[in-house]
Amino acid sequence: MAGSRVRVSRRGGFWAGACAAALTLWSVPGAPRADPQALELAVKATYLYRLAAFVTWPGEDTGAPPSPVTLCVQGADPFGDILDRLIAGRRPGGRPIVVKRVARLEPRSGCQIAYVAGGPGQSPAQALEAVNTAPVVTVTDEARGGAHGIVHLIEDGPRVRFSIDAAQASESGVTLSSKLMALAVTVKR
Amino acid sequence: MSLSTPEPRPESLRRDERLADRRLLRVAWASAAALLAIGVLLGWRAEVDHRERAVRQAQVQADILAASVSAALAFDDRVAMGEYVAALGLNAEVAAAAVYDSAGHAVVSIHRKDAKPPPPEAGPPGAHFAGRRATVTGVVSERGQRLGEVYLRTVPESWPSVLGRHSGLALLSLLAFLLLGVVTAAASRLQARARLLTQSNARLVEAMDARGKAEEALRQSQKMEALGQLTGGIAHDFNNLLQIVQGAFELIGRKPGDPERVAAWSRNGLAATERGASLTRQLLAFSRSQKLELRPFVVAELIADMRELLVRTLGPDIALEVWLEAADAAVVSDRTQLELAVLNLAINARDAMPDGGRLTIATGLRAVPAGDPLLEAGDYVTLSVADTGEGMAAEVMERAFDPFFTTKGVGKGTGLGLSQVYGVARQAGGAAQIESQPGGGTAVTLLLRRSAAPSTPTVVREAPQPVLETAAGRTVLVVDDEAALRELACETLELLGYRVLEADGGDRALDMLQTLRPDLLLLDYAMPGMNGAELARQARRRWPGLPIVFASGHADSQQVEAALGGEAPFLRKPFSMDALARVVGERLRVADAGPEAPA
Repeated sequence: MAGSRVRVSRRGGFWAGACAAALTLWSVPGAPRADPQALELAVKATYLYRLAAFVTWPGEDTGAPPSPVTLCVQGADPFGDILDRLIAGRRPGGRPIVVKRVARLEPRSGCQIAYVAGGPGQSPAQALEAVNTAPVVTVTDEARGGAHGIVHLIEDGPRVRFSIDAAQASESGVTLSSKLMALAVTVKR
Repeated sequence: MSLSTPEPRPESLRRDERLADRRLLRVAWASAAALLAIGVLLGWRAEVDHRERAVRQAQVQADILAASVSAALAFDDRVAMGEYVAALGLNAEVAAAAVYDSAGHAVVSIHRKDAKPPPPEAGPPGAHFAGRRATVTGVVSERGQRLGEVYLRTVPESWPSVLGRHSGLALLSLLAFLLLGVVTAAASRLQARARLLTQSNARLVEAMDARGKAEEALRQSQKMEALGQLTGGIAHDFNNLLQIVQGAFELIGRKPGDPERVAAWSRNGLAATERGASLTRQLLAFSRSQKLELRPFVVAELIADMRELLVRTLGPDIALEVWLEAADAAVVSDRTQLELAVLNLAINARDAMPDGGRLTIATGLRAVPAGDPLLEAGDYVTLSVADTGEGMAAEVMERAFDPFFTTKGVGKGTGLGLSQVYGVARQAGGAAQIESQPGGGTAVTLLLRRSAAPSTPTVVREAPQPVLETAAGRTVLVVDDEAALRELACETLELLGYRVLEADGGDRALDMLQTLRPDLLLLDYAMPGMNGAELARQARRRWPGLPIVFASGHADSQQVEAALGGEAPFLRKPFSMDALARVVGERLRVADAGPEAPA
């Protein structure tokens, strides 16, 4: 592109980016600013919240008004009240999100997106196994063990990125947006 | 001669035309204004369309960007966002672009070197066109979830491009304007020319009027000039005639007892008066008419009638020879003008023969074949006047027919004589030719187009033999203001056997008519007070069957006849005893035949 210049703002580092994502975009009130751990969680919470826009569940009519999406956190919830505050402060428009915490993830839990953290009642692997064929977008975290859900969050240097298991997604009957897949570090087919 | 004069157009018509012209001009200007308005409107419409299209295109680009960067914005993938924005920057139409997060802060932005960078904070969504460029701020959302904004600004359209877009229409409008201007200018020039034409037409009409009057005056002056030329000779002639008459009477007075010699002397006297009468008749007829009257007449008769006058004009030293062929060939012309022409030629001949000579006047016929340079094919009557005079040189002959050209001294000629000759020949559909040599005489020939013979003889010839009527017991009232003439008429009538009453004026005559009821009224035309015509009208009104006879020496017999309504016979003075007897007798016979019979 001759004669033009692309400027990407604040490429300073992971934490700067995380701060931007967490604080400036969604203004999560009360988030501990200096705590890198808290910032990383805020970014991940935002990702979870935004994931719903890029997924189509079976039986969904894209033309109909969007039905609420239930976002479950399985096992030990690392987010505390971050998720709840995020959803409370969300802007009008878009799909309604309901946050639900479950000890065990099951097909009839009513979850559509599930953050698998693992807990005393159900290990991540067990949780993933439980909804293997259910239309649940499972999200695992590299920081919380080796289990891989449909979306697996990865810390790539200063950024939070993700890989996608497209084969599992199609087995579960959910359709992920190609835009989402284009951003994935790896896509397993 | 009749001039067809163009009718001047009425003022109201011209005013109407001017109004129509003004209305046309107004329509032209209204059209120009409408044209301009339509041009501006179309240009404005095109500009609006262009802006809308530019905005729409920018909007589409922004929508594509928004759709492309939604996931990258959602998951904060700045590299991906940068790639999308950079790809958009490849479009040469894009001057600046940016992606803003949902808080409105610029995340990624690009701009061309020569363009302003995008604003650091997102503005409200929308699209507008300003400063020749489209600016769009669009919302990035996914499934209704608002993720941020995109910003896009196009490069400003170059001035040449703007001009190019509008030049077609502008040029068309300009051309239409020019065309309208040219048409309006041409129309106004035409109007001006029409006005000029109207003015020059009016001037032409005036000039033609003036020319007609001038021509009439010229004809009269030509006649008067000829008469002036004649006067000396005629006066001399009249003296001679009077000498004969006076001598005859004196001889009769001294020797009244010798009937044989008295008869001879009185014959001489009568002959002299006849010649005098013929001369005055010619002069009067000649000076009479001022208007051109184109009538058919026989040329040979005209020459015969002029003979006496010509002899007097030429004088004793010049012999007149007349050769009249084609004795019944007529032409259509003005008789007086042709007489004048002959007289002019005779005067010229006389002046050319100061020591005497011979003048030959001849008439004849000539057939002109087709293809003649001067004349139409057909039969022509020739009238030639040739003298044995001094002749003229070629250069004089060339100009002989020109008006005002004369070789005579000042006061002797106007130079109009031969031009009048030429004019009368052309008027009769013919031509005039002149042949001459210095010392070899001059011959002028008039070629006059032959016409059908006149329907009525132009000259009523008096019956040659005297008819003396027996007038047993009939009474004639003679009215004349001049006592000598009245007495002469009375005595003549008494000699013829009539009872005679006399009155010296109209009023007296009417009284006598009332009381004495004569059988016939013999009237002088010109009388002081009530003239003959007026008296005749009054008498007619009261006694419709009363026969009336006029006697007059007045020049214009037509005027007299018109005054009488053509109902009374007319005796031209001087008249002979025979003529008086015949006219009075005939009038009485007609009256006796029946009151209804025409006079």
